[in-house]
Amino acid sequence: MEAVAKKTMKQKVNNVLGANPLDARFSIALFIVAFIAFFIGGVLGLLQGLNRAGILELPTWLNYYQVLSAHGVLLVLVFSTTFTIGYFYAALSHTLGGLLSKVRKLGWIGFGSMVVGVVFVATTIIMGDASVMYTFYPPMAASGWFYVGLVFLVIGIWLCAFGAFINVADWRKKHKGQHISLLAFFAVGVFVLLFFGSIGVTIEVLMIIPWAFGWTDTINVLLSRTLFWSFGHTLVNIWYLTAVSTWYIAIPKIIGGRQWSDTLTRLVVILLVVLNITGGFHHQIVDPGITEGIKFMHVFMSLSIGFPSLMTAFAMFAIFERSGRKKGAKGLLGWIKKLPWGDVRFLAPMIAMIAFIPAGAGGIAQTNNQLNTVVHNSMWVVGHFHLTLGVTVVLSFFGVAYWLIPHLTGRVLTPQMNKLGVIQTLVWTVGMALMSGAMHYVGLFGSPRRTSYTTYGDNATALGWDPYLLLLAVGGTLLMVGVVLMVYIAFNLMFFAPKGQTEFQIAEPEENAAPTPKWTERWTLWIVLMILVVSMAYVIPVVDMIVNAPPGSPPFRTW
Amino acid sequence: MKYGLVLYIFLMLPPVANLAESVMAIHMHMQMTLFVVVGVLMAPLYQKIFARFFEKWNSNGVPGILLFMVILGYWLLPRTMDEALSIPAVELFKFISLPFLAGVPLRDSWGKLSNVGKNTLYVLLSVIFGGMAWLYIASPVQLCNNYLIIEQKTLGWGFVFFAVSIMIYFISTLIIDPSDYE
Ligand code: HEM
Ligand SMILES: [Cu+2]
Repeated sequence: MEAVAKKTMKQKVNNVLGANPLDARFSIALFIVAFIAFFIGGVLGLLQGLNRAGILELPTWLNYYQVLSAHGVLLVLVFSTTFTIGYFYAALSHTLGGLLSKVRKLGWIGFGSMVVGVVFVATTIIMGDASVMYTFYPPMAASGWFYVGLVFLVIGIWLCAFGAFINVADWRKKHKGQHISLLAFFAVGVFVLLFFGSIGVTIEVLMIIPWAFGWTDTINVLLSRTLFWSFGHTLVNIWYLTAVSTWYIAIPKIIGGRQWSDTLTRLVVILLVVLNITGGFHHQIVDPGITEGIKFMHVFMSLSIGFPSLMTAFAMFAIFERSGRKKGAKGLLGWIKKLPWGDVRFLAPMIAMIAFIPAGAGGIAQTNNQLNTVVHNSMWVVGHFHLTLGVTVVLSFFGVAYWLIPHLTGRVLTPQMNKLGVIQTLVWTVGMALMSGAMHYVGLFGSPRRTSYTTYGDNATALGWDPYLLLLAVGGTLLMVGVVLMVYIAFNLMFFAPKGQTEFQIAEPEENAAPTPKWTERWTLWIVLMILVVSMAYVIPVVDMIVNAPPGSPPFRTW
Repeated sequence: MKYGLVLYIFLMLPPVANLAESVMAIHMHMQMTLFVVVGVLMAPLYQKIFARFFEKWNSNGVPGILLFMVILGYWLLPRTMDEALSIPAVELFKFISLPFLAGVPLRDSWGKLSNVGKNTLYVLLSVIFGGMAWLYIASPVQLCNNYLIIEQKTLGWGFVFFAVSIMIYFISTLIIDPSDYE
């Protein structure tokens, strides 16, 4: 009881003072980069959409694959990562009583390193020397400088991760016997994954650099792909974990409810961290050179991530129903009406969650060998990740932006801005529904992904795709409107919205909650377990790939 | 206890056992490890039934750990893996020895060991596993009749991970003092 009283007191103090201005500046800097990347990436997305519909022919100095590489890199690597780090650093600052000054410094150095990395990457893509898509695996080879840029990006991420660890360790030393806040716990999970998940890709990039510069002749393609996906897949789940953190912590507050069980939520985080990295193989179901037995084993490894996801779904419904009933909802579904649908801070992440139902179902389908062969490398896959990433993750992030940015800048979300946000959310939802729906559908009819518009010499099947591709372009155009609105809102909240206090949205724990057990904080144990799971999954196939490798591949420039 | 028994039966089901034993690394690193885990899970029951026995013979934990090490060492040898596959009696011995002569004593001893004892065990295990890694990776000849050289090398790399994981955990217990935080 005393602890609770003390905590609310601290929160009150925090609310009066607002965010620590030095920490806020860091997060805002990351958000600025994130939304600039989002804007440029969105414009490029529209170009692709219009091209795929056969409406727009791209000029020779800006070809489809160059645009596609930039779109992927800017949205997947830059936007998502910078937003995630900005959000969690704000969370650490808020819940742990401010960042340590050395951590802030580390963060800025990491930020600088990331910016340098992005400059290298963007420059090589613009020069047309790096149309290798955001997956950048061999045998396609970009200019070596592209990969050097990636190294800077990874170093930046690592510095930010270590900053977070240092801050959390320091706090726990000063607060013996207490638990770090749930949000900080999510942050630790995310940074652990960011660090360990990027070790594989770092090894890959260090193999590629001498090869791309011509110092080595050949490279092991399958190994590179495997190392890439150990990272690529983990990154996907990092965004998911980030989105989930807002569902567990911010949403209950916004709808006037309370958190779900603290212990079980922490268990979800631990499970996602331990089980995650090994899922990478489901991106390689069609790759030759990996035996059937291994692929079979990995179906289970992929599906095991479904368990914490289902726990999350259950938790969300429990939160909604409880808070609805407290407001006097009657009947089986009466609580639905009690939810604050007009509040964009709720609406955006709510749609994000709803979208995850079909998105998750699609993912479970794809991870099965037979079904995967139907959709592999077709537009279906592009539809899938525009639903998971483009809706579930992105709308959750936007939901955060509506209160976190004004909290950091000492401003408020006005009712007009809220309304514009609701419009943005609806435009985005309809746009993605059209685009992603069309992508899923046309993928089932065989339209390939990562392919500039072509009718294959007026082949009847290819011509049959046209109506869907047109629908894709319509959705993409709506999305462009959504991009403009969102970027406008974000910068408005940063620099122009009226001054005022905005609260950091953190729900209170359940009433009469049981104390959280200590074992949840045993991070070394979770990390060792994670390493064991990773080695169980990777040692056998990777040794096979290295020892029984076919002749390596020289670099190819296919564009 | 319940979970231990379920896991035990599951691991001994012929199709499961056959599948696990068909891959060298899974045979040693998953099946055998899980048998030890079975013993660890079941230990409390035996500690209750044979309380006097454990008290008398394993009062400071050292005899139990020695037994654990002997059994572990025995099953690290390539020859024993081969025999487990070709001689049913040895297979049976594997099913019994790993849970009851390694897992159970490990759990009984662990709580009784001093910090020095625990640390010695961490170091000893990672050194042994490191040595096994070197043996299996570097050996130019096939060590098991039943497994190819490639599987042997894979097993060796598995040992590297095992050794590194134990080392990381060990080092973390040295530099991180839970009482600083809890
Ligand atoms: C204005 C909104 C957007 C439009 C119109 C759009 C459109 C497209 C199109 C047409 C493709 C190319 C499909 C192909 O040929 O394979 C594509 C690929 C992709 N998009 Fe988007 N997209 C948008 C937003 C996003 C967002 C918000 C994300 C993620 C945060 C995203 C991530 C990706 C990724 C990762 C690829 C795959 C790149 C590759 O295959 O290398 N997109 N998008
Ligand atoms: Cu994946």
